[in-house]
Amino acid sequence: MTREMMSVWWAQIRAVVRLEMRKTFFAKRGLWIYLVAALPVLIFMAYAVATASEQNHRMSVVRQGEKRLTYQDLLAVKSGMTQEEVIAILGKPPIRFHWTDRRPTGDGTTGPGSTVEVSHENYHYSDGQNDLFVGLVNGEVESINIQEGSNPGQDSIMFAEVFQFFFLRLAIFFGCLGIFMNLFRGEILDRSLHFYFLAPIRREVLMAGKFLTGLLATCVIFVTSEVLQTVAFLWHFTPGARDVYLYHNHGLEHAAVYVGVTVLACVGYGAFFLVAGMMFRNPILPAAAILLWEWINPFLPAVLKQFSVIYYLKSLCPVDIPSPPGMSPVVALLVSNSDPVSAPVAVLGILIVACIALYASSLQVRRMEINYTTE
Amino acid sequence: MSDRIVFADVSKFYGEILGVNRVNLSIPPGITSLVGPNGSGKTTLMNLMTGLVKPSRGRVQVLDYRTDDPENLFRILGYSTQFDAFPKGLTGFQFIYSYLRLSGRDAQTAEQMAWRVIERVNLVDAAKRNIAGYSKGMRQRIRLAQALAHDPKVLVLDEPLNGLDPLARSEMIALFRASAAQGCYVIISSHILHEVDVISDQVILLSNGYVVAEGQISTVRGEIQDHPTQILIRCSRPRELAAKMLEEELTIEVSIHKDERGLLLKTRDTDRFYLALNELAMNGIDIESVAPADDDVLSVYEYLIGNEEAVR
Repeated sequence: MTREMMSVWWAQIRAVVRLEMRKTFFAKRGLWIYLVAALPVLIFMAYAVATASEQNHRMSVVRQGEKRLTYQDLLAVKSGMTQEEVIAILGKPPIRFHWTDRRPTGDGTTGPGSTVEVSHENYHYSDGQNDLFVGLVNGEVESINIQEGSNPGQDSIMFAEVFQFFFLRLAIFFGCLGIFMNLFRGEILDRSLHFYFLAPIRREVLMAGKFLTGLLATCVIFVTSEVLQTVAFLWHFTPGARDVYLYHNHGLEHAAVYVGVTVLACVGYGAFFLVAGMMFRNPILPAAAILLWEWINPFLPAVLKQFSVIYYLKSLCPVDIPSPPGMSPVVALLVSNSDPVSAPVAVLGILIVACIALYASSLQVRRMEINYTTE
Repeated sequence: MSDRIVFADVSKFYGEILGVNRVNLSIPPGITSLVGPNGSGKTTLMNLMTGLVKPSRGRVQVLDYRTDDPENLFRILGYSTQFDAFPKGLTGFQFIYSYLRLSGRDAQTAEQMAWRVIERVNLVDAAKRNIAGYSKGMRQRIRLAQALAHDPKVLVLDEPLNGLDPLARSEMIALFRASAAQGCYVIISSHILHEVDVISDQVILLSNGYVVAEGQISTVRGEIQDHPTQILIRCSRPRELAAKMLEEELTIEVSIHKDERGLLLKTRDTDRFYLALNELAMNGIDIESVAPADDDVLSVYEYLIGNEEAVR
């Protein structure tokens, strides 16, 4: 393999990428991929709007309050306290609901069906970050409910859930399916693949050019989505909270890792769908098979797990998703990463899996014939 | 170093459907026409020659190159296919330019070569328009331009004259002749037999996936024993000439032209016929001209394959 040969191949790869880029980005049959990529961004934007509105309401509660409260003040209220004791600690409630109802006496001193009037009060306090709802019955505290406001640390678990269960397993998966499967299959359907096959270009070089195009397209689409998700996710926090999360609580590091995982997912799934697009006329069957394989990965024996993309991607995700108590063991296995591998092994694993798929593609592309009538 | 396009015992099956079977060919430089009805295997033979399909059996070699080596094969070969689809959104110029860039040529060279070939196929005015808006004839020309763009030694052209107007046809025929004159291999498939007859140095007749005959048209005609050769003679005493030929059993059928200056004879033994004709000429019959009347592709095609598909 001479230097001159390499430079010709590289020039040919660039020519393929130039030709394919516009088709890949602006194909009508690929518009849905943008929608899938935009969906988590929209979810986080909606969440940010809802949280910002909650925060505004909370601040108005603070402004109406008599005292400037702290979280410790909110925790000081205990069940059984009297109305006066509560007001002594927290001041007059900024928001108060009052109503009465009648309850059966049930003590045997009065006749059957007799009732007694009960006075109910609900107080709403806030320290600006968290809400306290106190329920009083006849002047005594009966229920206490503290609703903690959102904070980046806690919301990062929600972000991880959306990333792992929607973005990685569905959005990127189907996005790669749409783009990589069409690189060859789309041209066969358009009956234009012969244009490439009539050029003095090695089929493997053509395949490499097309793979690179798919990779560039998916990376641009999904990395942009990932960055926008992070922006939308952090949008509603105060600059101080954002800084603390980004620079002191590994937020920036996590964001960078998510971008890296996104790129690796595009590499892994892209390689899988490239070969599938060459081997199968109907993309539904291989897509369903790969999707199933990826979802049942936690239940597979250790050896088989390694031939999957999600196995390595899960190991690379920076935030572990805790299993909520009471979750069934099957679902818990899906959520947790019971058998993680180290980051270098995970990166290497994905690259090896992708190389195996690309090798299969290179064999397949050499065997391909132009026979549109049978497609 | 090979100077032929060689098919060695090549068969191609599409599943259970026969494409071509047991084809043995050795194609020399010049214009070679593939002639045969629809489904006879012309396009399959061309696709085999260019590696777009792989043989089920046998070997195809184009000069020194294997057909599974597109990187080298398409440096010496250009193929104008019948596939009427193009990469989306490209203008005529971009189509040719992209093809040349795919070959690894730099931008400047590719641009120069693209304009040169576009000029050659007379498509300069439409070069900046999207191919989607081209007429059938223009699409045919741009496909020809793609095949010619890199000045290949071997030109494979599947029905290259389809959709072209008479002027464009004669331009293209001149172009093919010029290429052949420079020592190129021009392989053409066509239904239009009189054009094939005019331009071909040799023909390959195909029927139902088999090569029925190959070679120069006159040689192929000479090998057809079932049909007597027809010879048209202009002479001073046609009746006398006819009588002599019948007497010596050198002709099986004679018809005299109504102007009494010519006759059409059918013979099964052309060698003896021409010897006898020479003797008669020396014995006083003034012979103006002698010409075979069925020594063309059309006749050969009719004799070997039948005329139902031929476009006269």
